Amino acid sequence: MAKSDDCVHILQGLLVFGNVVIGMCGIALTAECIYVVSNPHGAYPLLKATENSDIHAAAWIGIFVGLALFALSILGIIAVIKASRTLLLVYIILMLITFAFEMASSITAATHQDSLTPNVFMKQMLERYQKSEPNNNSDNELTKTWDELMRQNHCCGVNGPSDWQEYTSAFRSTHSDADYPWPRACCVLDAKGLPVNLDGCKLGVSGYYNSNGCYDAISGPVNAHAWGVAWFGFAILCWTFCVLLGTMFYWSGIEY
Amino acid sequence: TMLPLLLLLLPAAHGIAEVGPRPALTREQLEGVTTASTFVLDQPRCTFKDFGDAVIWLVVALDKDASKFNNSAGPGTPETAFQRFPGAVSAYMTLNATLGSYPCPKPAGDITVLRVGSETSCAGDESRPTCNGPLPGPGPYRVKFLALEGSVPVAETAWSMPITLRTAKSPSSIPAAGSGHSAGMIAITAILSILLAILLAALVAMLVFCGSDSCGSSTFSKPESVTVRRYNTHHVYDQRAARL
Repeated sequence: MAKSDDCVHILQGLLVFGNVVIGMCGIALTAECIYVVSNPHGAYPLLKATENSDIHAAAWIGIFVGLALFALSILGIIAVIKASRTLLLVYIILMLITFAFEMASSITAATHQDSLTPNVFMKQMLERYQKSEPNNNSDNELTKTWDELMRQNHCCGVNGPSDWQEYTSAFRSTHSDADYPWPRACCVLDAKGLPVNLDGCKLGVSGYYNSNGCYDAISGPVNAHAWGVAWFGFAILCWTFCVLLGTMFYWSGIEY
Repeated sequence: TMLPLLLLLLPAAHGIAEVGPRPALTREQLEGVTTASTFVLDQPRCTFKDFGDAVIWLVVALDKDASKFNNSAGPGTPETAFQRFPGAVSAYMTLNATLGSYPCPKPAGDITVLRVGSETSCAGDESRPTCNGPLPGPGPYRVKFLALEGSVPVAETAWSMPITLRTAKSPSSIPAAGSGHSAGMIAITAILSILLAILLAALVAMLVFCGSDSCGSSTFSKPESVTVRRYNTHHVYDQRAARL
């Protein structure tokens, strides 16, 4: 008898501890997703132009799931201590629904990260950078974003300046190849924003032009956000799985 | 084999010295060695060092028209005007310089190149027939250097190897958004699906087997209190009734 009492208390303690961890992780998930939603990085207009904002959907779901996890963890602690069958059943079912939502958010974030290949950005850049009759504001914004990106990160194009040579582009149709083998923003600029050595830049002499591609600068922050939402969500779900199994076992052992 | 023989005979016939090396695309590590309308040659340093009074011109021709070029054609004439290339003229002459522009020997570490096709301002200006304008197509082109004293050719290099410029593809040829799924995404999906399935199965099992209270008594119940009841056994009966 004493032994089964101890077992009960240990199980209760474990479940309470598990719920405390879930509650804290829920708050952390909410905070992280609020950060992702409200803190767009410099390349955000490029992402918007790809019309693929899954990462934001995933982050918004994450905010609400985090709050739900926190509330449910409090319910779970109360239910375990009171050993009430109905409360525990309510807790289990609501947790399962939250589990499903967080699963959706995590998978969406991971899929979004996969869809942002260099080709997506290259196509967008070639077709819309410095487009002469901008259809809408987003083309202007795209041009400004690329110029900022290339100046700040000392990079050129998506894979390198050769992008501008290998493909025709909206830029190429208004700027001759002899004068602008690649945009001026690819040149090393001085404090006034003028190329340090224009001939050196046009020739492609190393030191006077940016030879790296900008893909790393774009995908770095995007990937960080997507990984944060996807993998932290996954970790929380694994822990929640264990706590839920324990709760179900505890429920089945409670005297009616 | 005919072409080298012809080249050997021509200088002998006209008294032109053939000097080397032949022009070539620069060996420097430059991103823009060839673009869609320009290319970069090494300067002819030390090539014409014996011809101090000559003006050195660059002759540019399409590969197929190279052998048709006549060395006595004068630069700056309609027959060698850039603006009429390649339709009306088969070769044009440009980038003139005196030997002083090409000091010999070349200082180590200097980048000494000529960019053919860099002048865009005079590309349509017929009054500038020696314009170094952008090349009109991907080529292939051949070039040679020709040294003139006055209007008399005195030295030349051999024609270069054919130079082909870059051709740009259309961006619609870039494959659309990649559909590759990374290992991480597949792992997340698979594992989470399995976990959810296990949880749902456990919930169903829990409700089916334990919903009607058949599980409650084993582990966590309090021990049953034993009640003792008084039994009246049947064989204790009224003895008086039996004697009557």
